[in-house]
Amino acid sequence: MASVIRAENLTLAYDNGKHPIIVNANFSIGQGEFIFITGPSGSGKSTLLKSMYGQLKPNKGKLNVGGHDMSKISNHQLLQLRRNLGIVFQDYKLINEWTVEKNVVLPLIITGYSMDVQKVQAEKLLAHVKLSEHKDKYPMELSGGEQQRVGVARALSKNPFLILADEPTGNLDEFSSGVVWDLLENACDQLNATVLVVTHKIPTIFNINYRHFIIENGGVHEVH
Amino acid sequence: MKSIKDHFMFILPLLAVLIGIEFVLIFNRITTSYEQKLKNDYAILVSSKKELTTPFLRSIDSKIDSVTKINRNRIASEVIKGVEKDNIETILKNMPQFYRVHLTDYVGLDRLKKVKKELMSINGVLSVETFYQSYESRYSLFSLIKNSLNIFITILFVVSLLLIVKQMEVWQLGHKNRMRIMEIFGAPLMLRSGVLFKMAFIDAIIATILNLIIFMYIKTNGEHIDSVKFLKDNSGLLFQLSDLFIWIITSLVIVFISVLFVAFKTSEDNNDF
Repeated sequence: MASVIRAENLTLAYDNGKHPIIVNANFSIGQGEFIFITGPSGSGKSTLLKSMYGQLKPNKGKLNVGGHDMSKISNHQLLQLRRNLGIVFQDYKLINEWTVEKNVVLPLIITGYSMDVQKVQAEKLLAHVKLSEHKDKYPMELSGGEQQRVGVARALSKNPFLILADEPTGNLDEFSSGVVWDLLENACDQLNATVLVVTHKIPTIFNINYRHFIIENGGVHEVH
Repeated sequence: MKSIKDHFMFILPLLAVLIGIEFVLIFNRITTSYEQKLKNDYAILVSSKKELTTPFLRSIDSKIDSVTKINRNRIASEVIKGVEKDNIETILKNMPQFYRVHLTDYVGLDRLKKVKKELMSINGVLSVETFYQSYESRYSLFSLIKNSLNIFITILFVVSLLLIVKQMEVWQLGHKNRMRIMEIFGAPLMLRSGVLFKMAFIDAIIATILNLIIFMYIKTNGEHIDSVKFLKDNSGLLFQLSDLFIWIITSLVIVFISVLFVAFKTSEDNNDF
């Protein structure tokens, strides 16, 4: 299986290397895998995720995402890579001045798809996340669970090869969390996307044993 | 309401910058014209035993433009009144020639002294009258007005630019969330800043149109406004079509720099997002 993400002796740190968060991590993640990364608060889960969409550059070692060396990636290549990723945030990160429909197709707007394609794709995605009737509303008019479903729909809008989810259910109730997990699992099954979820605890609803990494004391260890 | 306020907070300082620019353009035209008038009205009086010509004086000092001989018949007629006929010829023979020396521009006082010194050094020149006192008072007044307006316009510029910077910070706050999210999803700088460019471009056009209205009004109704009455015979010195291009280019440059400043600042801050 080809690796979508590969880390070799990866070290991530803040303040010009003064505060290391991840130290000498080695792991490889293949296409179509569903991965959990867990760890206590402040262990570096979100930091690791940020490095995967280029928000943070590796201080040492190598990190390869979708064939790009994240240490050497140019600004132009980084933007290209990000256009092919789906990212889900704990705090949703929706654009409040835009309607739900426009938020969902943000990746298509960025890539320059026509309005017709955007419209068709928005309808399909909003039906998929069961928010069709809310398409003309603004994010602030939706509940947290609904906003996160918009966030997931946005992440799926360009059929990404990799979905990075940072505590996607951190702010949601049990019902909404269940809906979001279903959507992410379906994306992995139906789109063959790699889904990497950072969470403080693996939800009990999962009855399949997905690969699981734990971050402890700066190290990234796979749990078998 | 907030959106209108946001627009005006950019339009007003931009308008102030454009008004300042137009004042600089108008004042430059006025000073050039006034300087020309002062220069044309001014001449140094030289009395000389030796014949003075323009090429000769130009070779002495590059600031000398031309020299004209004053008809001395009138002066002579006053001098020879009551003099015996035999002596008249001797008087006229020994009487110097009088010349009016014009300069190329309205030079400073030190330069005027230098010209006088150089004229005096010519063999045969008896006296040089620069009318220093009246020249000095006119030149000082002219310099005072010129420098005061330059200081005023500089202050206007600085205050306006500070207001624009302040407004850029307001823009950054208002748009940073959207721009940061768009950047995370791979939007290039021009796409993330598209809304700001559109907004600032419209503001630049509005500011330019307002400036045009103000100066067209002054140009067409100047004679009714006491403060610009002196320009009524020189309305050509007021707004000229070429000024419009200068305003547009200035507005666009300010818009471009402002939006890029916001975009880069937002991008820099994105690491904490």
